[in-house]
Amino acid sequence: MTQEEARRHVLGKARARGVAAEVLAEIGRELTARAHQRKLEQLTEAVRGGLGVRVVVEGRTGYAYSEELTAEALDWMLQEAIDNAGLQSETGGFIPAGRAAGHKDLVGEALRGSLEAKIQMAIGLESTIREDARVKQVLHASYAEREWSVAIASTEGADGSYRRGVAGMIASMVMQDGTSRKQGFDDEWSTTAAALEPGRTALEMTERTGRLLGAKPLRTGRYRAYLEPKAAAAILAAFTPMWNGKNVAERRSPLAGRLGESIGSPLLTLVDDPLLPEGLASRPVDAEGTPGRRTVLVEGGVLTSYLTNSETARTLGQENTGHAWRTYRGILWVAPTNLYLAPGAGVTFTDGVVVAEVMGVHAGTNAITGEFSVQALGLRVEDGKIAYPVENFAVAGNFLALMREIIAVGSELKWVYAGRTACGAPMIEVSALTFAGA
Amino acid sequence: MLSETLVADVMAHALRGGASFAELYVERWRRRYLRVLNGEVKEATSGLEYGAGVRLFYGTEVAYGYTNDLSPRALLDVTGNLVRARGAVGRVDSRGAGGLDFRKAAARGLHTPQVRFDDHPKRYRLDRLREADAAARIAPEIVQVECTLQEWEQDILVANSLGTWAEDRRVRSRIAVNAIAQENGTVQTGTALEGLSVGLELFDRHPPHEVGRRAGAQALTNLRAGPAPAGTMPVVIGNGFGGVIFHEAVGHLLETTSVAKKASVLSDMVGQQVAGPVVTYIDDGTTRHGWGSSEFDDEGAPTQRTVLIEGGVLKSYLVDRWGSLLTGYAPTGSGRRQDYTFAPTSRMRNTFIAPGETPLEALFQQVDQGLYAKAFRGGQVKPGSGEYNFGVQEAYMIRRGRIAEAVRGAMLVGKGPDTLRRVVAISGDLRTGSGMCGSLSGAIPVEVGQPHVLVSEIVVGGEGA
Repeated sequence: MTQEEARRHVLGKARARGVAAEVLAEIGRELTARAHQRKLEQLTEAVRGGLGVRVVVEGRTGYAYSEELTAEALDWMLQEAIDNAGLQSETGGFIPAGRAAGHKDLVGEALRGSLEAKIQMAIGLESTIREDARVKQVLHASYAEREWSVAIASTEGADGSYRRGVAGMIASMVMQDGTSRKQGFDDEWSTTAAALEPGRTALEMTERTGRLLGAKPLRTGRYRAYLEPKAAAAILAAFTPMWNGKNVAERRSPLAGRLGESIGSPLLTLVDDPLLPEGLASRPVDAEGTPGRRTVLVEGGVLTSYLTNSETARTLGQENTGHAWRTYRGILWVAPTNLYLAPGAGVTFTDGVVVAEVMGVHAGTNAITGEFSVQALGLRVEDGKIAYPVENFAVAGNFLALMREIIAVGSELKWVYAGRTACGAPMIEVSALTFAGA
Repeated sequence: MLSETLVADVMAHALRGGASFAELYVERWRRRYLRVLNGEVKEATSGLEYGAGVRLFYGTEVAYGYTNDLSPRALLDVTGNLVRARGAVGRVDSRGAGGLDFRKAAARGLHTPQVRFDDHPKRYRLDRLREADAAARIAPEIVQVECTLQEWEQDILVANSLGTWAEDRRVRSRIAVNAIAQENGTVQTGTALEGLSVGLELFDRHPPHEVGRRAGAQALTNLRAGPAPAGTMPVVIGNGFGGVIFHEAVGHLLETTSVAKKASVLSDMVGQQVAGPVVTYIDDGTTRHGWGSSEFDDEGAPTQRTVLIEGGVLKSYLVDRWGSLLTGYAPTGSGRRQDYTFAPTSRMRNTFIAPGETPLEALFQQVDQGLYAKAFRGGQVKPGSGEYNFGVQEAYMIRRGRIAEAVRGAMLVGKGPDTLRRVVAISGDLRTGSGMCGSLSGAIPVEVGQPHVLVSEIVVGGEGA
């Protein structure tokens, strides 16, 4: 059956059994063209979709999902969800009252274009990267687009759908100068395919990696840190779980119980905006059908809000900010959309280390304690100028302290895009962090 | 899962369109996930996933498509789309194909679980996780315990235009416990997890109370720990999941994904001394019930035990079909993928450092002042520069050859080839641990393992003096 039929089938059966249910249906489309040696190397064209159900039986919540849309599979799914609900002893669960929110198409013609033109973008990216004499190998260089159609409907009246998508350029290259080798992994995303510029992106990528060639060891010590936008955004992204209402409600966030307190420098303002025009993670409604709206998390250093869905908003006694997150295979959670650190007046170099890139962020950060220690590559700043590149070191601290020690914020915002959330930051200057090296 | 006629039709369709090789991968998963916080079920979910991936080679050019509509029309459509897409950039010839004679290979049942997916009521799982919860509460400072259980049952069929037809069932279970300890405003975490290619007999091999107790003990250790030092020093890497360091620093550098394009610092080095003579490094896809084991890889080739480094000398790479085509090295049964949405690439399975001969005490006695990194989080590497890192979850200072006070919050960083050459001693106590490894073909289950290993210097990224 079609997804539409499957949705009606499941909600009909749930109603007949007196079970409150919410169905989230998704179809994802992927196109990836990878170039090598100025030719197409790998082309992936595909579609994947499925249906996930959340049920509440006597206040107990259960989940199940299926990619197979036969009556048999869907009936199994509903029964499993009801059985799973039976395991819960807590009885506060509910499916929120919803309303018809209509359909919103955020993609329109934005990903239109011939396959040939898209393949040429990948080839253009790869061949421009190769033009740099320091480039020894290109591991991959791709044009990629991802598109999702999401529909949410419930026995409690929710009914809404939207379509969103992104296009991007991804590449990894090995560069060498003498015996010094560096490998870049880089990507650039947009909501419209036409906005991508393979040539310019290639030059930026080789510039970002090339400037790190010939790096020297960095002496262990405390240095003023200038976190470049993408490095700052990657670290910020790793600590956004601190604002996740689910973690706050479960006391797994160091920010729990601190609303209204000053937690950072007056220069720190954090915003999540699902309606951001051109936002890589924009969407009109969340995974429960709640309309999205801009939420200020930190304003001038003061903690002003967490991100919540209907469940965590009720637990915390706060407003639902419309940040419910669920894929058809997942469980109800909370997640940011376009979350960013608001730009400031700018940064002036004095003496310290520019952190150009951080690695191992998933293993080197702990959002429960705030501690981090990540591998980094960077540039030594002396007498107000970039002196030379540095390597083979780790930068460590606690994110809670880092937020207080921000002493300047850059003016230009850059985004890192991971899965379906986007995190943005300008350059940030931190008074001191520990750098472990030689 | 699919009829032979339909599979042969898909192959013929692809070959007529000019492909030099065609492969169909079909799978069906059943999954369960249970998360229990402080003994109460927070989320329980079950899922059914299925789909197919079609991969075509035109020489060394690859086209890949996937769908979760397994009807004949949909599968032929996916194949037709790939053929047409290729038409946009190259010549499509009209070569036909005769009937395919598949050589059917069925799994021998080397990793067949004792407990089937549907055995035991759901409540049994909850009860076992509650045992882990209770065992983690070793002291009043343990304020929170989270336990999760993942269960997978995956049936796959891989067939290709060379006549390969392989069917395999992979069953995997994994328990994880996270404990939070708190005292005077300080919060620390402890983690323990165990995964195997088994059903719920996982609980016999790794009793939940033992996993729980380890998580609680680690959280308590970290609560009392001071900050880790910053700087370069000798490091003893703990056994078991400590093997993640060589997974990052060496294993990824040996995958043909990077080697074929000379984008690995270990490209073209077979036969050369790349590590200290004490190092023998093996990737074994056949370990009974190993977390990363299977009878066939995701290209339908039988898995094997591959010696990568022997006595410090590089012996073999990890080779998938496409990598073999590009490099000429024979495939090693290492073609793996997360699921049907990924084309396979060369990946690790169960990779470990073979036992050495240094007694454990003697290994520590070689260190005047250094770090004992006992337990780990994940890591990352850039094969093209060899720069790697991994996060330490539990560590102690070594002073005058003895394990001293606990320290926390360090990441170890270095360059793979340098670290390999700095391995100076290996003990005999090999153990393994389970992890999820992310790369071009998605996140897959892998084991890492090693005895205790002494590395003469690594950068320790702590915050302390």
